[in-house]
Amino acid sequence: MTEYFLLQALNGLVTGLIYALIAAGLTIIFSVLKIVNFGHGALYMMGGYAGYYAIHLLGVPPVIAVFVAMAAVYVLGIVFEFLMLRPLYSNKIDRKDEYAIIVTFALFMVLENAAIVAFGPFNKRPPSFAEGAVHVGTLTITYDRLAAAGMAALLLIGISLFMQRTSIGQALDAVSQSRDSAAIIGIDAKRMYAVAFGLGAALAGGAGALIAPIFSLSPTMGDLPSVQAYVIVVLGGMGSVPGSIVGGILLGIVEGLGIGFYPDPNRALVYSNAFGALLLIITLLVRPTGLFGRAHLRME
Amino acid sequence: MRLFKRSEALAAGAGLLASVSAPRIPALAAEPILLGWVGPLSPPGGYAAGQEMKWAAQLAVDEINAKGGVMGRPLKVLYEDTKGTPDQGTAAMELLATRHVTAVFGEFHSSVALAESQVAHKYGIPFLGTDVWADKLTGQAYPEFFRVCPCNSLIYTMVGKWAAAAGFKNAAIMQEATDYGQGAVAVLSDIFKQHNIGVNVVTVELNQQDFSPEILRLMNTNPRPDIFMVIVAGAAAYNIIRDACNAGFAPTAQTALYSGGGPALEKELWENDGKCAVNLITEDVTLPKSQWNSIGKKFEAAFVKQFKRAPTGTAMESYDSVGVLAAAIGEAKSTDHKAIISAMEHLKYTGARGTYTFSSNHQPAWAFHQFMSAPVMLVQYSELNQSADVAPILFPRDWATTKYLYARPTA
Repeated sequence: MTEYFLLQALNGLVTGLIYALIAAGLTIIFSVLKIVNFGHGALYMMGGYAGYYAIHLLGVPPVIAVFVAMAAVYVLGIVFEFLMLRPLYSNKIDRKDEYAIIVTFALFMVLENAAIVAFGPFNKRPPSFAEGAVHVGTLTITYDRLAAAGMAALLLIGISLFMQRTSIGQALDAVSQSRDSAAIIGIDAKRMYAVAFGLGAALAGGAGALIAPIFSLSPTMGDLPSVQAYVIVVLGGMGSVPGSIVGGILLGIVEGLGIGFYPDPNRALVYSNAFGALLLIITLLVRPTGLFGRAHLRME
Repeated sequence: MRLFKRSEALAAGAGLLASVSAPRIPALAAEPILLGWVGPLSPPGGYAAGQEMKWAAQLAVDEINAKGGVMGRPLKVLYEDTKGTPDQGTAAMELLATRHVTAVFGEFHSSVALAESQVAHKYGIPFLGTDVWADKLTGQAYPEFFRVCPCNSLIYTMVGKWAAAAGFKNAAIMQEATDYGQGAVAVLSDIFKQHNIGVNVVTVELNQQDFSPEILRLMNTNPRPDIFMVIVAGAAAYNIIRDACNAGFAPTAQTALYSGGGPALEKELWENDGKCAVNLITEDVTLPKSQWNSIGKKFEAAFVKQFKRAPTGTAMESYDSVGVLAAAIGEAKSTDHKAIISAMEHLKYTGARGTYTFSSNHQPAWAFHQFMSAPVMLVQYSELNQSADVAPILFPRDWATTKYLYARPTA
């Protein structure tokens, strides 16, 4: 029983780290731009395909392909931010919240349907990071999952350090607190918005490239993780990167253990999202601002 | 002096051209016969299967039109994307009704076809189900609904008998939460009960991606299942197969792996699951390649040439659906719905998957308007990147290419 518990917890931890990576990107976008990016799942999907084609067309190793995918989706994010989100920073738009919802939702719809045309309707899978699995007693976990979890953890540490230790990270934090105050000390808010959206997109893209050898690629692969990312963002405290990391890991473990120990095995997998929702409800009852939440502002 | 005006000369030339070409392509000059197609072409439906069905249908339409069409009129198909959801299916069928289509065919999701069949019944439109397996579709006994594919009872009675004959004692089943999945498992459970085979059923949603927690749970049950059956028609099956393999659950010497519903027939199985799919057992809704007629061989060659992939049984069903409807319209010598339904009830048409006739029997209920001889067989992949049409056939034994009922993987 202990081994089984450990196995389910470990499996949940791996999934949770990927969730955390997606959610961290969503959090950065939300905290700086004050918008909910409904296109995040599609950016995750695009990262998966970018990694796949980097391997097959450019011949790069799977690990390097993750960084190629992040770069490609970063550029995609920057272009989208420049073309579609810039009106948010002006007074040309009255209903900024609604505008942001519509354009990011459109991003999701366009990318997902374009992917069916561009990449085809059939599932694809890039080569493994490393073939095989680790066996310890009855515990078995594939190298792909371990590699994805390890790289996700490194990326999460990297993004945390970037946000805390670099001038750009601190500038992003300043803009997230007050655009006007940041402008007074010489921070170009528009540039930070572009960086934040690109960075958030790149993290989603990296998660997609990491998960591709585990779950395969399909144009709809971002649908479910994007919903889970929203849960994590609220769970961790809206706008908190550490909160989204802890929230993602927590959600992954709760889902793994929930499925593993739910009394009715027939329905356990169907209820996997319910375990996350339950965790969210309990957390919000105890801490209404989420695990690491702080009061947030709307787009100024 | 000019003998002809330029316009007169052009008209005369056009007339001459028309008279020369008319006997060769008479169908193109006449008003087209409109057929409706319904099926998933975008998420959340099984759009990969939908796309393959659409390709095959259009191939059939092009061939028929190249031969002059039906009653001297070309066929034209209005393709409606149902997204795999019953509400979109209903809307698509309503739209096709307003376009006064002669008949409708297609669909991949039983739940959607059930919704569509209500609309077809309301308007009296002939509706030929292409790859929808739920028994209750024909079980509704609607005069408008016919089916070219086998139904769950035909398929899973055979699968259950095979499992019993192969000596399995304890099955774990992962079923999709749809009319297809639940219907299939209901049939299997009955057969397993008759043969004292234990059953442990787990339900999954098609949009789920990580199945490893449940697979670990099934793997750790006591007694350990000796067969793991994945009754999932969507691409999620690829993840389940890989998760089961990576966990060391199946296919292994202790536990066989079965995948139903079609995804294991696509060539993407090998890209997604690689060596995990060696020893996988699946059903194929077509005839053994050794029994293919000239129509089947010609269709396969044309499909491969045009789409650079071998057609699955689903594609063959779609191809034959057009042939069946064209033949019925030709027999009826009319585009009247009732005349076509009557013609289909007495039709004998040979397509790529054999000779089609539709039962008028109501016992069992699902037999009504069902193509009772719809082919289905079980194959087990014996090597990497193997095509289903050359994989060893396990069942039915009349078609089997092996002496064994199941090749157990070596430890």
